Amino acid sequence: MTLPGSLDEAVAALAAMPAAVPVAGGTDLMAAVNSGLLRPAALVGLGRISEIRGWQYQDGHALLGAGLTHARMGRPDFAALIPALAAAARAAGPPQIRNAGTLGGNIASAAPTGDALPVLAALEASLVIAGPGGRREIPVGRLLAGIELLHPGELIGYVRVPLLHAPQTFLKATGRTGPGRATASVAVVLDPARRMVRCAVGAVAPMPLRPYDAEHWVASLIDWDGERTLAPEALTAFGDYVAAACIPDPPPVPQGADDGTGLAVQAPGEGTLPPAVLHLRRTVATLARRALGRALA
Amino acid sequence: MTGMGGNAGAGGSGGPDDVTGVLGALVTSSVTAPAPAPDGPPQGIGASVQPVDAAAKTQGTFPYAADLWAEGLLWAAVLRSPHPHARIVSIDTATAAAMPGVHAVVTHADVPGDAAHGRRVADRPVFASDVVRHHGEPIAAVAADHPDTARLAAAAIAVEYEVLEPVTDPELAFSAEPLHPDGNLIRHIPLRFGDPEATGEVVVEGLYRIGRQDPAPIGAEAGLAVPRPDGGVEIYCASTDPHTDRDLAAACFALEPERVKIVVTGVPGAMGDREDSGVQLPLGLLALRTGHPVKLAATREESFLSHAHRHPTLLRYRHHADAEGKLVKVEAQILMDAGAYADSSSDALAAAVAFACGPYVVPHAFVEGWAVRTNNPPSGHVRGEGALQVCAAYEGQMDKLAARLGIDPAELRMRNIMATGDILPTGQTVTCPAPVAELLAAVRDYPLPALPKDDPEEEWLLPGGLEGAGEPGAVRRGVGYGVGMVHMLGAEGADEVSTATVKVSGSVATVICAAVETGQGFSTLARQIVQEVLGITDVYVAPVDTDQPPCGPAAHGRHTWVSGGAVERAARMVRTQLLQPLAAQFGMSTELLTIADGKITSYDGVLSTTVAEALDGKELWATAQCRPHPTEPLDETGQGDAFVGIAFCAVRAVVDVDVELGSVRVVEMAVAQDVGRVLNPAQAHARIEAGITQGLGAALTENLRTSSGQVRRPDFSGYALPTSLDAPDIRIVKLVEERDVVAPFGAKAISAVPVVTSPAAIASAVRAATGRPVNRLPIRPQAAVAVAVAQGG
Repeated sequence: MTLPGSLDEAVAALAAMPAAVPVAGGTDLMAAVNSGLLRPAALVGLGRISEIRGWQYQDGHALLGAGLTHARMGRPDFAALIPALAAAARAAGPPQIRNAGTLGGNIASAAPTGDALPVLAALEASLVIAGPGGRREIPVGRLLAGIELLHPGELIGYVRVPLLHAPQTFLKATGRTGPGRATASVAVVLDPARRMVRCAVGAVAPMPLRPYDAEHWVASLIDWDGERTLAPEALTAFGDYVAAACIPDPPPVPQGADDGTGLAVQAPGEGTLPPAVLHLRRTVATLARRALGRALA
Repeated sequence: MTGMGGNAGAGGSGGPDDVTGVLGALVTSSVTAPAPAPDGPPQGIGASVQPVDAAAKTQGTFPYAADLWAEGLLWAAVLRSPHPHARIVSIDTATAAAMPGVHAVVTHADVPGDAAHGRRVADRPVFASDVVRHHGEPIAAVAADHPDTARLAAAAIAVEYEVLEPVTDPELAFSAEPLHPDGNLIRHIPLRFGDPEATGEVVVEGLYRIGRQDPAPIGAEAGLAVPRPDGGVEIYCASTDPHTDRDLAAACFALEPERVKIVVTGVPGAMGDREDSGVQLPLGLLALRTGHPVKLAATREESFLSHAHRHPTLLRYRHHADAEGKLVKVEAQILMDAGAYADSSSDALAAAVAFACGPYVVPHAFVEGWAVRTNNPPSGHVRGEGALQVCAAYEGQMDKLAARLGIDPAELRMRNIMATGDILPTGQTVTCPAPVAELLAAVRDYPLPALPKDDPEEEWLLPGGLEGAGEPGAVRRGVGYGVGMVHMLGAEGADEVSTATVKVSGSVATVICAAVETGQGFSTLARQIVQEVLGITDVYVAPVDTDQPPCGPAAHGRHTWVSGGAVERAARMVRTQLLQPLAAQFGMSTELLTIADGKITSYDGVLSTTVAEALDGKELWATAQCRPHPTEPLDETGQGDAFVGIAFCAVRAVVDVDVELGSVRVVEMAVAQDVGRVLNPAQAHARIEAGITQGLGAALTENLRTSSGQVRRPDFSGYALPTSLDAPDIRIVKLVEERDVVAPFGAKAISAVPVVTSPAAIASAVRAATGRPVNRLPIRPQAAVAVAVAQGG
């Protein structure tokens, strides 16, 4: 167990002992250790690296330290900066978890239900990775999709998030009133400068999903120079569009390959999905509708 | 639902305080309690006496079995079956036994005694020998000098399986190949009561499904077994029925019961038969084999796999009523999934069949019940078993009938409600107090919680929680009722005896009684009883082990009744011994003397002395038994006086449902309960709150899912227990104190009946909010989406 005081020291510690596992809040890692699933040879504690526990401003972006806790991100000053990320942080688990769990940990563990992930995807955030070869920057979506990987000895140092100065929402459905894992979550971000709506759906797939077509379509309906409102029908259509994109219909059964009863194969539609999946689709549609409606209200 | 102690406090009540609410009652404890003695803490019956171990348990310093240690300790690990149904072709332990640090590996071949055991029916092997019948069944166990070594060695045992098709649908168990030499039908009760030809003007039918609730105790199973010099073994664990567990263990070890001793270490939460024989028996075998102390602390996954769950149940109902809503006939079929072994399924089925019509007057009833064997996780005693499942179903039927007839649901229930003197469908007359109408009226007439419309919108707690997605426009409020009943003590001829010893020496009284404190508050009650009878403040309740006389299981409110009764009798015998010489000396009867605050005074004030003086250095001992009146088994038509007593409860649930997402928030639960007499107001409130919260879990989130018999996600992220943030405001509207003359102190059991009743009330409220049938527990979000939304896609 080492407790480096800076990001460079942490990278050096990892380089010195490649088998060591970095640990920040430990809310996922220590649970795995306690249940015997993980026996790390050594730990590099990131809790004393003060440079990654706050944020700074850089040409229209916020450079968020990976060690920011959910509790810190949930506070009003942060919420004024990046409202959707603050909402996701407040929704993430009980207070004990929010006090310990960090932004970087949420990204590194990359659980499908990670609440910060759809928000980062919708914000098109990028990650500043510190490693033995220096620092590099990759879009968060490429890491979550597994297109780019963290190399041995690398750490997530910062998260670069654009400051959009426009409404953002994060909504999450759980099976309960108290804190719980998302069954589905939706982040909606307005980008008035580029006249874009960006949306990401979490928890329904191994990584956050971006319904690009629905985003472009709904952005074209919005009067960006005027009231920026939409008719309820348009919001509902957006919700359905997002849901159908994220939870597609199963591929239709080819003609003639029916079960031999002679009955016509059912036309593709919602009827072909099992009820639980249909409910999930309905949930995503409702969340997306409400999220966009609240962003435009 | 997990509960650690009787002092759970106001944890279940999350909302704003209210003068009539639970918080107020608990803080002041003044609602029904007499004023505490001016110079000390409250004591005696009816006072809110605090448990002595409350501080240690809340601070985490109380030593449970998982905290024990002994010199030369070895660690055990149990190899469990990954398959729900398989034939064992071979077991090769050679690799595991040869690993450095491993002291012993035991399998079925190493069990010296009876091959099969079971709490009611001996049908369960210690280790599977030829066939595994459920996911997680123990196959072998290892003792090693380090827990990791033990786990690795267990994993190194090579078992060759021939995987068989599991029987997971209880409806197919009837026609499936027998899973066990005893067959697949564990019990069948065809209850027939009244005229089968009777019909009503209105008929409603329904099909209901109840899921698999796990008792999920806060502390997983753990134990320490220590070999004795006489060839016996002592097992330290959190057993709730130590003498039965000892007898099972002794039979399996081929030892006399006297050479096996179970020491109860403190129970970290118990909602049923707590300890799993799959922990105690391997531990004892390993200790006997190695000659070392052996310890095992189960992981949460093992705990979920091994201990008994609530019976998943399928219920089909047909209610006949006349045009005014008076019930004419109830026809029901109840199919309970017992899992692989019988355990206490036959008791659960008897309760389900007997209470299938609920606390309503039903002239004709035809109920057919089956408990069948499957390859699903084992089912057994979990608080309110049998009664909970049928309550959800018959209350669903009452809602359906009310909707059909256009009668208010509470009014329809009131028209049929049972009272003392009515007859159960088992032919048993309800002789105990049955103030059910009073209970229902109390919750019905209690003011409804206000809508939050006057508060700022951002403060509304909507379904989905504080940061959830709830939208006020999509939220519908619903109000629903549940009226439930559950039997107290063992049923159908069980000998419900308990024995207690009271000793007085100096200024201290000691209670020796093998009734286990599971959090139900028995040790506090025992102190209160002795304080009441002997006027001695300082009462010590000895730890429980099996060298004491048996007291039976901590279940069905037994200990308050029989063990409390035994303690009272023993204390009275000591009192007589203490006062007899004094009374004789002064030529008066002992009834004319009173003991209070350690002083003995006579009715006329002539005699006044202290208990210590009267004792004069002597020790006084007395042992007494309490045995309630006998019961009889249900006969081949389900008839018989099977129950000692019945407790009733009415609950009104108020829920908010986001009808687009199907998310449910229980706003408030109003409870009125038939308690006989409140013995400890603080504990009574805590038990009711805990029961309501456990019921809320059964109604909304708790279901141990399986696919093809495999348990899916046996952990607390997959199995959602209610937290304090899920718990509603719990209003204890009324505790009806109509003393039950046959019960000691006139008190009834209070823990189980709120668990039984609250899921039905929540389902009823969700029905009212959404217009959906809600015939499945726990309620899935897709079932709570309002009709119009569901049809609209």
